[in-house]
Amino acid sequence: MLRHTLQRLLLALPVLLGVLLLGFLLMQVVPTDPAQVRAGPTATQDIVEAIRRDLGLDQPLWKQFLIYVGRLLQGDLGVSIINNVPVVQELGNTIGPTLELMVASLIWAIPLGIAMGTVGAYFRGSILDRAIMAVSVAGVSLPVFFLGLALIWLLGFKYPLLPFTGRMGPFWTWDGFLAIILPAITLGGVFVGPVARMTRSSVLDVLGADHVRTARAKGLTERAVVMRHALRNALVPVVTLIGLQIGFLLGGAVVTETVFSWPGIGRLAVGAILSSDLPMAQGTIIVLSLGFILINLAVDVLYAVLDPRVRGA
Amino acid sequence: MSSVTQTLAKGQAESLPAPTTEDFIVRRPSVLRMLVSDVGACISLVLVVLVIAGAILAPWLAPSDPYGGDLANTLKAPGEMGLLGTDGQGRDMITRLLFGLRTTLLMGFASVVFGCALGGLVGFVAAYYTRVSGLLMRLMDVLLSFPAILFGLAIAAIFGPGLTAVIIALSIATVPLMARVVRGSAIVVLQQDYIESARSLGMSDARIIFKYLLPNCLSAIFVFVTLRFGQVILLGAALSFLGLGAQPPTAELGAMAADGRNFLFFAPHVSVLPSLVIFVVVLAFNVLGDALRDALDPKLRK
Amino acid sequence: MNRLTALLLGSAAAVAATAAPVSAQQKAPLSILRVIDADNYDPIRSTSTAAAEALYMLADTLVSVDFDMKTIKPGLAESWKVSPDGTTYTFKLRTDVKFCDGRPMTAEDVVYSLKRWTDPANKSPVSFRGGQVKDIRAEGDATVVYELKEPYSDLLFQIGLSFASVVDKNAVEKLGANFGVQGFNATGPYCWVKWTPRQELVMKKNPHYTWGPPIYKDPKPQIDEIVWKIIPESNTLMAAIQAKQADVTYYMPYIALDTMQRMPGMQVQRQDNYIYDIFMGFKVDKPVASEGVIREAVNMAVNKDAIAKAIFFGKGQTLPALLNASVLDFDKDAAAKMPKYDPAAAAKLLDAAGWKAGADGLREKDGKKATFTVYGIRNDVNPRITEAMQADLRKVGIDMKIQLWDATVAWGKLATQEFDAFVMAYPYVTATEALNLYFNSRQAPTPNRMNWKDAKTDEMLKAAATAVDADKRKQAIGAVQAQLTEANVWVPLVSQPLWVVSGDRVEGVRAHGVYGAGLYKGLDIKLKR
Repeated sequence: MLRHTLQRLLLALPVLLGVLLLGFLLMQVVPTDPAQVRAGPTATQDIVEAIRRDLGLDQPLWKQFLIYVGRLLQGDLGVSIINNVPVVQELGNTIGPTLELMVASLIWAIPLGIAMGTVGAYFRGSILDRAIMAVSVAGVSLPVFFLGLALIWLLGFKYPLLPFTGRMGPFWTWDGFLAIILPAITLGGVFVGPVARMTRSSVLDVLGADHVRTARAKGLTERAVVMRHALRNALVPVVTLIGLQIGFLLGGAVVTETVFSWPGIGRLAVGAILSSDLPMAQGTIIVLSLGFILINLAVDVLYAVLDPRVRGA
Repeated sequence: MSSVTQTLAKGQAESLPAPTTEDFIVRRPSVLRMLVSDVGACISLVLVVLVIAGAILAPWLAPSDPYGGDLANTLKAPGEMGLLGTDGQGRDMITRLLFGLRTTLLMGFASVVFGCALGGLVGFVAAYYTRVSGLLMRLMDVLLSFPAILFGLAIAAIFGPGLTAVIIALSIATVPLMARVVRGSAIVVLQQDYIESARSLGMSDARIIFKYLLPNCLSAIFVFVTLRFGQVILLGAALSFLGLGAQPPTAELGAMAADGRNFLFFAPHVSVLPSLVIFVVVLAFNVLGDALRDALDPKLRK
Repeated sequence: MNRLTALLLGSAAAVAATAAPVSAQQKAPLSILRVIDADNYDPIRSTSTAAAEALYMLADTLVSVDFDMKTIKPGLAESWKVSPDGTTYTFKLRTDVKFCDGRPMTAEDVVYSLKRWTDPANKSPVSFRGGQVKDIRAEGDATVVYELKEPYSDLLFQIGLSFASVVDKNAVEKLGANFGVQGFNATGPYCWVKWTPRQELVMKKNPHYTWGPPIYKDPKPQIDEIVWKIIPESNTLMAAIQAKQADVTYYMPYIALDTMQRMPGMQVQRQDNYIYDIFMGFKVDKPVASEGVIREAVNMAVNKDAIAKAIFFGKGQTLPALLNASVLDFDKDAAAKMPKYDPAAAAKLLDAAGWKAGADGLREKDGKKATFTVYGIRNDVNPRITEAMQADLRKVGIDMKIQLWDATVAWGKLATQEFDAFVMAYPYVTATEALNLYFNSRQAPTPNRMNWKDAKTDEMLKAAATAVDADKRKQAIGAVQAQLTEANVWVPLVSQPLWVVSGDRVEGVRAHGVYGAGLYKGLDIKLKR
């Protein structure tokens, strides 16, 4: 088990390095001049040049990358070229709210999706099944920003029930809890569908398997078959799917955070890339990719726990 | 990471057991019959055909000039002026929607075609040549760990916002997903006896890939492409929301929905109508993709 | 109202009551909403309106600007004298001023701050605004002398801008590059509490403050805490004000202003003397944009009135001339030279100059197509303004390509030579300032993005800037206005109005708007609950 985990961890390292390099190169080809960004609209050329020297941007590319990696290894991600705030500090401020938003979204979306998928599979072919599938497919077919704005219009504007202007504290406080409801519905909304669909097809798969047939032959009711035998095995691929969909969820988070002024890392990343704040953009890319890799690593390990056959492989 | 890849491959294998060549040829008519017998799939198929026709025929169907605005008649409600009203520049909504559909479908097709061609190539090579498999799939993992939206942002920052940037970003974001799907189903096919016999007959790698591997993976590819199409359109809309999509005066559904949101509370049709069209298009492709998956998977048959 | 709605509203009220536990003793902070944040809040390092609007509350300047945007009133300086040759300004300071940390302000603090602003070694992008400084020195505890190498007629206006704010030397030295990022100390009515970039800037009342400018009724701040919140999505901002989740904004989408005006308890007011103009400028050395005929035709073909009306929902004003009619030294004769809207005449003009329409309706001359690319910032109005212009220009056979950029990168993009024209909105206080900023050959490539290099312009600009006599200045800067209008270097579009919307919890809000700062010092504002 430990060996399995370590092996996966080792395999993730080159991927992380690749992400680092790709991110650095991408940011290099961005034709925006950070010195000019920093100097502002009315600066003259010699001021821009002076700022460029100060930022070390007149150094050759390889040197800039080496300096960057060297500092990274010491845990120093540099400071924002826009406002001088240490990147680590900004990342620290924004990771929390994003995690909070993701947890709040997944905490209702995953159980609901699994329940919907299981019910759909249990009553396969029925009107209920069709309705559930229709709802879940509709949920993934709507632009995220539209769902968010529609919610603001309905529950913030037309019937002013809930706040929507950003985070108001940790979610365990009453204010914080209220503030996270709309963003969490928006972001979770895009997740229910895929989970429901995957659960349904996975449960149906398992229902066709031998040991389930045996259980049926033993005279167990269909309900018992689904609950005791099918669901547990069916959850394995669902767990994997959730890991893979985290990237998709991050994309949704970027939009959700913008719509709801949520102080998360998605908005930070967008702002940093758009403003060519290279150190900040690099930092957010590293954290987001690392998050993706770690979650998939966790899924891997979880997968091995759920399915002992993998461990030998 | 690698067992995630394996898992996906396994998942693919479970839901789509690779048919033999004979199977494939024999089954095709029955797949069609299954699709036709599914009401949802039927409606979706009709919708998809209609949508494509509308997009192609836009210049002839549209009642007015898509770029000719009239600032004296902006934000007219549906019915008040034209059947569906006018947008913020006083342009007819029906015209804009038709041309928007055209651009959006083009964007979707281009991204899916480029992304899938490249991803498919990587997938086949990774499945067939096991020596490079590890390296290629790690590369794909790198791309996969890079959220598509961030990729889009970076590409837009490089090329300048616009359709080209969106297509490039969405194509690249499609590559690793496609590579995984193709590799997953190709590995299963490669274990079949007829591949072994083809090899023993001295057939070239290229011939084996094109004659046996590709046709036997087609069903998996087809399902993926159909579902991916919808996702790509939604991702494009998200990029437009962040201001990186099609530039004015180009009509594109995502950009129309995103730009129209400025009037959302006062003239909702400007944003709601394109969102609705996006919804219908994506929904149709999703339902179709699901139906195809069901039809191609014998285990799910009643 | 049916029963269900009543029930929903009832529960809404209950939720609202619990959501914002407003006790009688402590009022919830005044929340001001805006759409973008500043890059930093160091007066000499940021040129953005987003920085200025907060800095006016955090710090003071020697002089203040009245609501008419033309009259200079006392600020930290009680009075001032200008030497007859116009090169020496002597400021008499107030003696009761204290920094937020309680330390009394001295003449040395003022000298330090002004030197910091104007010293080229500090690489401030706004140092040129201070003029050709010879020396800035303190004479005694309460007098500061600002000595110039040559007269500079704009100096008092420039000293009234937030760039010339008086700051605490100790704080600057202690915080270094983090001054205006992690901390701040100055003599404004409100004190820095905490800044979370792209989220909010929190400030609290300066307990010592009694020296507000005489343009306000009460020189003391009335509010305990102010939170400037960033809401990037304008629908969210609008809904937040309407749902009373926030108190004040001057970034309300124009489309919503009428609705806000009709809402009970909501106050909507307009500042008439607001100078924040939108224009399109041509790079006069680019192939198509260099043709005077093309520039003139564009000025005639674009329906500016329709843009002001449709895009600003009747809340905008067409710019009749190169500059805003309410600015100091606006020249009426030059304004009369501005071509009037007449697409037919524009087409005739182009025909006569040899620009003939091709098969696609696009004009060309000597194999050169009448097409040019415009750059601009992606905000809530630019996409619509440029698209409307594009449609107008298509009608006369000119193809205008649009490329808009996110606010932060846009400045970098606008510094390049990639484009032929650009749209921009800018705040200014005097004609001399605006034209010296944009049309002096020394200012190329930025902010003189037009690459306008003309000896006569330079000469007149210098004459205006160094004029000691107001009439001579008016004459010189008027000549520049006439010359530039005739050359059609700019296509003046719309004067952006300033509309301040405030909720029923607030009273005493008065729109100001110098350099885009809608609330200026924020004095006289009170919270009812």
